[in-house]
Amino acid sequence: MIKMFIRVILVLIFAANCLPALSQVKCAFDVKGKVIDQESQEPVEGAYIWIKELEKGAVTNHNGNFHFRDICEGHYELNVEILGYASKNIQLNVHENVNMTIRLESKDYLIDGVEIVGHKDAVNTLNSITHLGKDLLDENRGGNLGETLKALPGVTTFTTGANISKPVIHGMHSNRIMILNNEVRQEGQQWGGEHAPEVDPFMAEDISVIKGAETVRFGSEAMGGVILVTPPKLPVAAGTSGTATLVGGSNGWNGAAAFSFEGGLKDLEGFGYRIQASSRIGGNIKSPAYYQDNTGMKELNFSGAVGYNSKKLGMELFYSRFATTIGILSDSHTGNSSDLEELIANGRPFSNPDFTYHIENPRQEVTHQLLKAKGHYHLNNDGVINLTYAFQQNNRQEFDIRRGELNDRAALDLELFTNTLDINYEHPSSKNWNGSIGISALQQANNNIPGTGVTPLIPNYDMVNLGAFMIEKYTKGPLELEGGARFDYRYVDAARYNQGELDEQDFTFQNFTAFLGAGYSLNKNWLLTTNLGSAWRPPNINEQFSQGLHHGAAAVEIGDPNLVSEQALKWVNTVNYSSEKLNAELTGYYHKINNYIYLNPTGEEYVSLRGTFNVFEYLQTDAGFWGIDLTTDYTILPSLEWFIKGSLIRAKNLTDQNYLPFIPTDRLETGLVYQADKIGKLELSHLSVAKQRREPDVDLAPAPPGYNLWTARISRDLLVKEKSSLKGSLGITNIFNTEYKDYMNRFRYFTHEMGRNFTLRLKYEF
Amino acid sequence: MKKLSVLTLIAMVSVALLSCSKDDPVPELDQEVITNVSLTFTEVDENDDIIGSAMEYNASSDEGLGLGGDVVIDDIDGLVSGKRYLLKITAFNGIANEDVTEEIEEEGDHHQFFFVGSAFIGNTSFLEYAYADEDEDGNPIGLMGYVTVNENAGSENGIFNLVLRHDLDKNHEGADNPSWENFVQAGGESDLDIDFDVIF
Repeated sequence: MIKMFIRVILVLIFAANCLPALSQVKCAFDVKGKVIDQESQEPVEGAYIWIKELEKGAVTNHNGNFHFRDICEGHYELNVEILGYASKNIQLNVHENVNMTIRLESKDYLIDGVEIVGHKDAVNTLNSITHLGKDLLDENRGGNLGETLKALPGVTTFTTGANISKPVIHGMHSNRIMILNNEVRQEGQQWGGEHAPEVDPFMAEDISVIKGAETVRFGSEAMGGVILVTPPKLPVAAGTSGTATLVGGSNGWNGAAAFSFEGGLKDLEGFGYRIQASSRIGGNIKSPAYYQDNTGMKELNFSGAVGYNSKKLGMELFYSRFATTIGILSDSHTGNSSDLEELIANGRPFSNPDFTYHIENPRQEVTHQLLKAKGHYHLNNDGVINLTYAFQQNNRQEFDIRRGELNDRAALDLELFTNTLDINYEHPSSKNWNGSIGISALQQANNNIPGTGVTPLIPNYDMVNLGAFMIEKYTKGPLELEGGARFDYRYVDAARYNQGELDEQDFTFQNFTAFLGAGYSLNKNWLLTTNLGSAWRPPNINEQFSQGLHHGAAAVEIGDPNLVSEQALKWVNTVNYSSEKLNAELTGYYHKINNYIYLNPTGEEYVSLRGTFNVFEYLQTDAGFWGIDLTTDYTILPSLEWFIKGSLIRAKNLTDQNYLPFIPTDRLETGLVYQADKIGKLELSHLSVAKQRREPDVDLAPAPPGYNLWTARISRDLLVKEKSSLKGSLGITNIFNTEYKDYMNRFRYFTHEMGRNFTLRLKYEF
Repeated sequence: MKKLSVLTLIAMVSVALLSCSKDDPVPELDQEVITNVSLTFTEVDENDDIIGSAMEYNASSDEGLGLGGDVVIDDIDGLVSGKRYLLKITAFNGIANEDVTEEIEEEGDHHQFFFVGSAFIGNTSFLEYAYADEDEDGNPIGLMGYVTVNENAGSENGIFNLVLRHDLDKNHEGADNPSWENFVQAGGESDLDIDFDVIF
């Protein structure tokens, strides 16, 4: 966003300059060029090219190209600058059209007193995009992906107890948003509310959230938005570096340790590698008045990558493994609906345990492995071909409280294999046009591993999804326009045993989606963007096939194989103001989803020898979502900043004119950040979350009241040397140990959220 | 170089594609389910010696927790006021052909029956239960016990609500009372929750 903004300003300056003094000489020469990294020969995007005498500027595009038009004959001095590289002055003689290559030498030491604030968006889109960069990520290290993303306005979480949290973008979660983990769409068992994404935030250098529909670029599930988890680029030069992080928290006595090491080889220029590992452990979480029984967790992740980059060719091989064991609040597994009602009436768990790290049933054990091979090749015409292949294996086991040796047998045991192949071609950027075409293929197989002793919740299935897309972008002066279209085809072949009979069904879905976006810079302060995108989502396998008891919810859920695809239209508008003192961004959106699939209470009860259960069925309706997100950042004094972040969302079932369940409540966070050399950085913030007054007609319990939380943190450099540094921070969340429940927690009916928590973070870079 | 990498990728893709397609589903026999419960009442004298013949009442659900099954619960219609009975409970899983009674016995410290409903609790109650078995810690289970019918019973019918709790805290205050209304406070979950009608 910032980059585009600067680019637009520069183009504006360029347009305003008519240079009357030189109008006699010939002024119709083109000065073109490409900026590349001297070592890797990779194009350098976002470099500023400045012609001193003409006061003209340009910024290189993602191919490293820049272009000045209508340059007069003469001698000039050209200055090239970009963070991370030594700046360069070049003599430029213009007597004819010029086409030059500029090689920049990378500068991998920190510049004194300069904070690196530059950021390259993970995706080049006109859609509203916000991100958590390295600094913000470092400040939030130690949490899971959902918790980490809460720092962004418009992003909330859908949680199941203290350890399972799913990111929510503008009220959408699970299969309605997409997570790209290192450029690969994450394929786990996302359908479940208690199935958290299998992503290690320690791996990321940047996490970005696109809030608009990006179905065209990424495929169906991107209807509500996209989360991009991006690791740092592999090194291309000789030398080694690394980081080590330690995080400790007082609530649950949780700890996290992470390590990463990377380097290149002297004899093989362009070659780079990285190994990375992280681990987390936590015990019973404490609400202000009690420990939550069996809420410990353990996680161990590692990854490795090797890559090679030359002038034309880039290749990368990446492997990661994620493994977690999560304890589920034991009280949440109720036998029947009257148990559940008693528990809700009690308002807190009946159990009163002590602290322990020990995890018992019910628990989840999940592993996720990703193998990715990626390559790109620069064609002679300046176009680029990108190819990414990935293989993912996801194994999810859920253990219930059962009798005897069955306790050691998973009640749900699913294995999901996914192959994805993405090929796209970025055509050479011509005068005002940039764009790409691509195809993507996904093949998936889901298997229930036999022997659970429980009739599976979802069937075994094969799925194939093929998509082809085209995106084109037009840039002229302060205006940028972008449009694209995509066609998708999906085939699903499912098989299961239903009441003793083999039941095989297959489905085909196909859909066309398109989007149109625009960005316009009014002047150097104001920037407007708008994006209108259509999207679709085929019904998920659980929505089609659920038939039976959902133990965690004491509910019988009934799917419908005849559900049709959801069709959506999302319109996102952003106004951005930035000046020296004030940065502000306001995003407003409207999201209409036809055939919206939701779980509706039928009001009926299912009677069994275990008692009665409420019956829910999957239905379709038309739903409308709208809302706004606001971020402002005001510099009161050079050392003192005041920020406000807020979001509100309204969602309605348009057919029945009532409200949808689990829609995030209005929230407003405001805080002060004070920075001084001697102390470091001091932050104090206050979060206010309103009560959800727009409740669905039927719910197990009324929405909990709103709440207010205070958070404080101090962070500073503890040790700075030429080649290494040690940073530390100490934070307190929920300072006043407030007892509260959050509407977006599936366990809110009977547990409070986490109480006060002190967190100490140390990060060593070398 | 380019050709090579593309070829490698194609090879990798085809290997991976071959290695994963869906397996044929395997029907699961639901293990955690109880499909048949029987209550056997036998009249006893003051010395707990058997003096009558056994009366058996059943509750069954052929599909267990699966949908589409029929739940059939007998009426308890043979109790006589003023008499005392030995009550034995058995549980069976007809889907996996398993004797659940044995499992409950083996894990006695994790299981306990409660006898609630209007037949045991409230102004018009007319039954009283006493545990006659215990687990390894000396706490009651409820697979065996004695039911005493009030002398004045017979004017009103009532509900015999049989509850089996799993994974409860047996040392919780009140848990030694077989007709403890607030059994949920001891934690755990219900494996059985059946309403038998008691009629005279």
